[in-house]
Amino acid sequence: MIQAFSDWLSATQLSQLFANLGWFVPTVQTIHILAIAAVVTMLSMMNFRLLHITSSGPSLKRLAGGYVPWVWRFLVILLVSGILLTITEPNRELMNNAFRLKMVLVLVLTILTFVFNSAFRKDAEYWTSSPQRRFLGGTIALLSLVLCLCIVAAGRLIAYV
Amino acid sequence: MPAAPALITALEQMPFAQTISESTWMFPCFETLHVLFLTVVVGSVGMMDLRLLGLGSKDRAISELTRSALPWTWTAFGFAALFGLLLFTSKATTYWNNIPFRIKMLCMVLAAVNMVVFHFFTMRNISSWDVGKPPAGARAAGVISLALWITIVATGRWIGFTT
Repeated sequence: MIQAFSDWLSATQLSQLFANLGWFVPTVQTIHILAIAAVVTMLSMMNFRLLHITSSGPSLKRLAGGYVPWVWRFLVILLVSGILLTITEPNRELMNNAFRLKMVLVLVLTILTFVFNSAFRKDAEYWTSSPQRRFLGGTIALLSLVLCLCIVAAGRLIAYV
Repeated sequence: MPAAPALITALEQMPFAQTISESTWMFPCFETLHVLFLTVVVGSVGMMDLRLLGLGSKDRAISELTRSALPWTWTAFGFAALFGLLLFTSKATTYWNNIPFRIKMLCMVLAAVNMVVFHFFTMRNISSWDVGKPPAGARAAGVISLALWITIVATGRWIGFTT
């Protein structure tokens, strides 16, 4: 079914139009990487603070208040640029196991970020108010860091798998 | 392909460079790590640049933001450069003759010059604009840095399409 969809997509005029523009894929990939840079850096800074690996600078509350809205904006840029790349080279992406793994990991990371932020917006002390919550917050932070690492790795490995 | 300098050819023929070149997994792994660390370099530099331009982190003092972001930038840069060097050695003559690679290296040198000028000259009177709107010199440093790092990512990606 995915193969049929991929074949249909690659035969569309839009896909062929993008594929015939030599500059299109490198340009969209560059935008995609810049957006990944923004998301990975902001999430890493928040997660390192949540894990108490870094302690200087603004509080976690101020960091999250400033970064989370930008994380969502850059995720939209990632989604749009990712869709454009998939339309251009459907078989390279949709039929690739590294791409599929990346999509699952992105989904998990998005859910984790949403859960972290929902609790944080209701109560800024939520993730530090008890030992259990500190442990849970630390686990989410560690998972989020590992997911960032794996998403970047899976993204790069699409070219090799 | 024009001949590369003897040093570049010799670098490519070193045993560790040959090992990377012949291995099926080393190049993809080093490239992944290079990209990962580069994302942190670009993300942390971009954060400082946007603050200089008055477009982000406006509630944070520039000196405080720089103090918290620079350790990230330098640590990540060290690793990105290390893995970048390993990637370069595996196909040194090819990269040496590649135009996007040369533009990327030139932009990195210019980014370093821009940073040195900013830290040693523009930042001398930072106390008067640390929490407010930065002066034209600081804003110019932000624009130049942002443009250079975007070009570094773009040319880095272009290397893959031209080698």
